[in-house]
Amino acid sequence: MVETRVQRVLGGLLATAFALPLLVLVVRAFADRWRAPALLPQDWGMRGIELAFSGQAAEAFWTSLLVAVVTTAVALVLGWPAARVLGERRLKRPAIAFLLLAMPLLVPPYATGAGLTEWFLRLGLVDTVSGIVLAHLVGVLPYVVVVLLSAFGPEVTALEEMGRASGLAPLQRWRWVTLPAVAPTLAAAAFLGFLVSWSQYGSSLAVGGGRPMLPVVMLPFVRSDPQVAAALALLFLAPAIAALALTARAARSPL
Amino acid sequence: MSPLALEIDAITVSPGGAPVLRGLSLHVAAGTRTALVGPSGAGKTTLLRAVAGLAPLDDGDVRLGERSLRNVPPHRRGVAVVFQEPRLLAHLSVEENVALPLRAAGFGGSERRSRARERLDEVGLGGFAARRSQGLSGGEQQRVALARALCADPDLLLLDEPLAALDPNRREDLRRLIVRLQRERGLTTLVVTHDRAEAAELGERVALVLEGRIVQHGPPKELFERPVSAAVARFFGVANLLRGEVRDGLLEVRGTAVAVPGPDGDATLAIRPEHARVDDDAALRAVVRESVYAGTHVKLVVDCHDLRLELHVPPAGAPAAGREIGVDLPRERLWRLPEDDEIAVSAAAAAPSRGAGRPSA
Amino acid sequence: MEARGAARLRAERRRALLAAAPALGVLTLLFGGALAGAARTSLVPLGGEPTLDAWRALYGDPAFADSVRFTLQVTLLSTLLSCALAMLVALVMRRRSVVVRALLSMPVPVPHLLVAVAAVLWLAPGGLADRALGGLPLTLVRDDLGLGVVLVYVYKETPFLVLLLLAAMGEALAAREEAAAVHGASQWQRLRWVVWPAVRTPLVVGGIVVAAFVLGAFEVPLTIGPSYPPTLSEFALQATQGDLLAGEGVAAATLLLTAVASTLLAILAVRLAKDAAGG
Repeated sequence: MVETRVQRVLGGLLATAFALPLLVLVVRAFADRWRAPALLPQDWGMRGIELAFSGQAAEAFWTSLLVAVVTTAVALVLGWPAARVLGERRLKRPAIAFLLLAMPLLVPPYATGAGLTEWFLRLGLVDTVSGIVLAHLVGVLPYVVVVLLSAFGPEVTALEEMGRASGLAPLQRWRWVTLPAVAPTLAAAAFLGFLVSWSQYGSSLAVGGGRPMLPVVMLPFVRSDPQVAAALALLFLAPAIAALALTARAARSPL
Repeated sequence: MSPLALEIDAITVSPGGAPVLRGLSLHVAAGTRTALVGPSGAGKTTLLRAVAGLAPLDDGDVRLGERSLRNVPPHRRGVAVVFQEPRLLAHLSVEENVALPLRAAGFGGSERRSRARERLDEVGLGGFAARRSQGLSGGEQQRVALARALCADPDLLLLDEPLAALDPNRREDLRRLIVRLQRERGLTTLVVTHDRAEAAELGERVALVLEGRIVQHGPPKELFERPVSAAVARFFGVANLLRGEVRDGLLEVRGTAVAVPGPDGDATLAIRPEHARVDDDAALRAVVRESVYAGTHVKLVVDCHDLRLELHVPPAGAPAAGREIGVDLPRERLWRLPEDDEIAVSAAAAAPSRGAGRPSA
Repeated sequence: MEARGAARLRAERRRALLAAAPALGVLTLLFGGALAGAARTSLVPLGGEPTLDAWRALYGDPAFADSVRFTLQVTLLSTLLSCALAMLVALVMRRRSVVVRALLSMPVPVPHLLVAVAAVLWLAPGGLADRALGGLPLTLVRDDLGLGVVLVYVYKETPFLVLLLLAAMGEALAAREEAAAVHGASQWQRLRWVVWPAVRTPLVVGGIVVAAFVLGAFEVPLTIGPSYPPTLSEFALQATQGDLLAGEGVAAATLLLTAVASTLLAILAVRLAKDAAGG
């Protein structure tokens, strides 16, 4: 690939713009004392980390993780057949389906959460993991379907036909032909779905009641104690970093 | 295991809602190789898919031996398919791809490996077992697909345009391989192709599909030299059609009497371009409009008044455009079309004939 | 016989609909339920009679008007800036540079809230940028114009738009540009007559998507935005923290308005995208 100088400069700028803020977070998290106008902290330490993990942060981390995993799993199970049907263009009027998928993606999660609370109060779903999962599902399910549908199409159908013609029973076909063929896109859909749930603020706040979720717990510390906020932010960032590492490795390894 | 015959009994198939095959019947004798040929859209691939169970039957039946395949799902039919594209699984090695039918049948790992390697040897890909399927050329991938089909030990082998994606040199190799493997096993085989020469080389018998029906079915020579209708004639490259009334064994062609076989009466006669000759002593005169060198022969398009004829002559001494020549149409090479549908006289007739309705031979 | 084929097609269509039903059904239930719930809360306060009080309160509230103005301002600014920036970057990058493309996908998995937190650490008075440069010329954190909020959204949405544009600027476009160049079109002419028509619709659709999204800005302004005026979502939150009875209704009404606005934009975006793809 021939890169002009402008493109190289642009690449450099982008790398800086994306890496530098991350660096600041790391530094801030470990800076016990960092008075202005010093450019580097005066005191390094674990105060931020310790304070962060006392209190609700640990519980918030695990709750957020649980909700994200459950929401993604449910979204994949519900979304797989829909993604298949849309990807293979088997719907007569797909526009309606796409509309139904687009709307929840763009409506503010706080609004959907607040709206659902009206019913959750009657159903006793406020302040429960199930309630939060349902609220998150509104945002995660469309994402999962939209990403996953790109995996299905004539190529996969052709391979499945080959499977049938080669004597594979339906379950064998699913395990040995379909699943491996859509695996990369499935992984991407699962990961994106997980991140959407993991990053949720508005819906978690509206439906979660008192149940601690990581982003909700983190926000107040930004004003009150930036070091703790930075420590929590690193924790919050962990799945995103994992995503970057995995995608970078997947991009480099041969198909 | 003795070979089984394939009986396709008046099937109707409508993949997109509208019928593509209408009451089509075909019999492939046990252990023989039949080539299915026809223009694109005629229904050849649909027929193959219906036999494989990949397209549902609206009507009729498909029988393999004594067994009806009507409600049998594709993976239990004992029918193996080599598709137009190799359709190999990218995440598996060549050997694992070949062994797929064995895995489906529940064979153990070592058994699968040894059988797959045997098949790979047979198709000439001896050392390829551990390779990834992506790095292979098109021809190699098709041979892997062929090995895979053989691994299924099928009662019937279906091939959909197996040579289409290959360049001419590779085609010859693969064609010979297919013929050899089929003969060795005595495997009942149906091959689809759109190329009439390929059909003649691949099939012990050839069946022509036009508009969802089998129009003629027989040894290749029959379809090439004794077509039953003008549509068949046209498909097999018989460009020259003469129509008129035969009197005393002679047909008047633009004022010249030409000796023709058969009884007196209305007739349509056909002669292949390769059989018509340039003969300066001949009574029938024509002017050369086009003289095109085509490698193995020269293609002449000549006009006899308003009658256009096509001749394929040896390159040496072929006349140039503009020359007036004599055309000899040897009596023994003229084929009289059976009486039936309307026939276009000119070799360059554009309108397609109905060409339908004839039951399979 | 013809009917057999048509009947089979109908059965296939039915089966396809059934397969998509769980996902679409659940979404309809949850999303429709949310909208209905918000409508209900705005009209029926806790255990009372249906009333338009909440809506009337909104209509007469100058703070609500300020919030609307502020939200629209932030939305417009974010959308226009990120679209312009994305267009620029996409044109410079074109189809080349796999590395830059990979770099651009990096912000995608980073949550908006995190970007806002990092932005506060950098751009607040006493933050790193302030120290490094000896004082920032602008207030970007908790400023009246919400510039910090705009910055965060531009940071996050520009890469998304660039990727969208690059998807529309693939090999086919390169081939058409070459054809134009060979027929004598200059760089600028090619840009106007070949490139722009190809990227026009994705850019507009992307812009609408960004606008619909920023309209609901919540955690970003909570982190880096001013305490006054609040965005619409913030306004709703503040309402619930005030008067307990009336607050829920006002909050629900506000959120319903925001949701409806975003929904309309979503419908517009899907319509445009469908028309561009050939309906």
